[in-house]
Amino acid sequence: MIINRRSLLTTALTLGAMKAFPGLSYAQARPLVFATFTGSWEEAHKAVLVPAFRKANADATIVLDPMLSVDQIAKVNAAKANPPIDVMLHDPGPALVAIGQDLVEPYPIEKSACYKDLIAEAQEPMGPAPFFQVVGLTYNPEAVKTPPTSWADLWKPEFKGRVGITNLNSTLGTGWLVEIAKMRGGSEANVDPGFKALEELKPNLAAVAANPGALATLFQQGQIDISPGNFNAIQILKARGVPVEFVAPKEGAIAFKTTIHIVKNSANRELAFNLIEAALTPEVQATLMNPPYLIVPTNSKVTMGGEIARVLAKDTAELKQKFVFQDWKKINEQRSAWIERFNREIKI
Amino acid sequence: MGAAPASRDVTSYGMGLAVPLALFFLVFFVAPLLQLLWLSLHNDTAGLHWGLSQYQHFLTDPFSLGVLGSTLLLGAEVTLVCLMLGFPLAWLYQRVGPRLQTIIILIVLLPLLTSVVVRTFAWIVILGRQGIINATLQSLGIINTPLKLLYTQFGVVIALAQVQMPLMTLPLITALGRIDPNLDDASCSLGAGSWRTFFRIVLPLSLPGVIAGCTLTYAAAITAFITQSLVGGGQMLFMPMYLYQQASTLQNWPFAAAISIIFLLAVLAVVSVFTTLGRLSRGYGGT
Repeated sequence: MIINRRSLLTTALTLGAMKAFPGLSYAQARPLVFATFTGSWEEAHKAVLVPAFRKANADATIVLDPMLSVDQIAKVNAAKANPPIDVMLHDPGPALVAIGQDLVEPYPIEKSACYKDLIAEAQEPMGPAPFFQVVGLTYNPEAVKTPPTSWADLWKPEFKGRVGITNLNSTLGTGWLVEIAKMRGGSEANVDPGFKALEELKPNLAAVAANPGALATLFQQGQIDISPGNFNAIQILKARGVPVEFVAPKEGAIAFKTTIHIVKNSANRELAFNLIEAALTPEVQATLMNPPYLIVPTNSKVTMGGEIARVLAKDTAELKQKFVFQDWKKINEQRSAWIERFNREIKI
Repeated sequence: MGAAPASRDVTSYGMGLAVPLALFFLVFFVAPLLQLLWLSLHNDTAGLHWGLSQYQHFLTDPFSLGVLGSTLLLGAEVTLVCLMLGFPLAWLYQRVGPRLQTIIILIVLLPLLTSVVVRTFAWIVILGRQGIINATLQSLGIINTPLKLLYTQFGVVIALAQVQMPLMTLPLITALGRIDPNLDDASCSLGAGSWRTFFRIVLPLSLPGVIAGCTLTYAAAITAFITQSLVGGGQMLFMPMYLYQQASTLQNWPFAAAISIIFLLAVLAVVSVFTTLGRLSRGYGGT
């Protein structure tokens, strides 16, 4: 075969086009795309949820495309008619944004076998919660001899220059500020007391991390000894041998419903539903509750055990009593103003 | 395949060959940039109402202007540190044997071969409370309580200077290499001391390299999102983080677009100052 310039160019262009627009080659059969979260969530979903889903769905192909909630929204927003993602996973704030922008479908509750077994807080008609994220106090047991019991302990003089927090970009940072405001008589609609409390916290602040992940680094480096933190993030650190412990404050641990949604106009609606169903089954949730994942289940048929039962809640009744769910609809209304205020006021 | 006509103008090839890259830039750079501009000229997040309110908001807000100012200042500080440390290194490179030259080049290039994230994490380990600097100073008894280095402006400048150093050193090495070593000797034999030779001969002739290095370092330092946020932390706000916050967390795309356009113009202004200096220096170097 003689390769001339023209045929070479044609081949190159075709190959290039197929690379640039992969939809050309498999327009009919795009695999199910699930945008999970990065890090331990992705690992957990890859190891437990995906095999369970494939087993129940004749080895259907599925692609995990981990990214932050806000990035999922941006990506779907850019191609609403033909979204590149079929199943989205959201923190409570972004979930309401996605619903408000009409990016997700109502969950077909009547078809669902597991929905009715979810505890009441996890039943969300626009997309149920397959797990909760829990925020409490994390501390270094080598430096902090008496375990903290309350959010108020962060203000103790003994922690001068030892406290870490995150800014309000994250769900953790915003949720925590609301909780602090509540502790001082505020609410989701009024975080003024929270900002006043932050002002008083300044002598104790060693660092304002740009994201919750950075808090982990700060613990590892001994830059901070105590901070509000995510239960699951701490487990990774503990597994790596970093001296760090989690405790639910007596005011209640902040619980974020992480909700899972079928994207509107998804080409794989049926498979998307099946994936979400798999995520709600007691079997998958029970496996995810065990080490190393320690993900808090939402299906009431799952019996709490292990570290979760020890540190968080023994059963659904205790969970409801110890977890604080926040009103993110109210929070979203003013969140941008708070972020702006935080930018301006919190300089250390 | 027909042969090209013999009389074909050889210079016409130039434009034709640039077409693929030009098309690439048009589609993937100019078009998005225009889209960004279009978006920034809207008053609402849905992009329905035209107006300049995003720009008005930024330019009348002391806080936003402060973020812009501190970002530009950060770039200047990093560039200065890089120049102060990079120039002697480049100068040394021109005056040592080939074996040492290889070592110097390796040292200069090594940072480029590791990811920025890795380099930045190394700085967290160095600057931390129990990091190398604090541990050394404490064991020597110079300080009792650890210094706060991480999450400070100082920390960001030092880390960025190391991360961006190759961008300064490489142009300097090239520029200094082009200077005829005989000029040094000539200057000395005509009675000029070493300092006078440096300031009147070496420095002016190396100015193109200095300008190129400064431009590259400056542009890279002010846009270094990763290093700025990991070493600077969440309370030190620079333009890239401000942009990210508005675009991603708050989904306020028009304001984010306006921020990027303003940032782009500010950077272009600084770069054009560098270029003007470069043009002036060419005249200076020639006399």
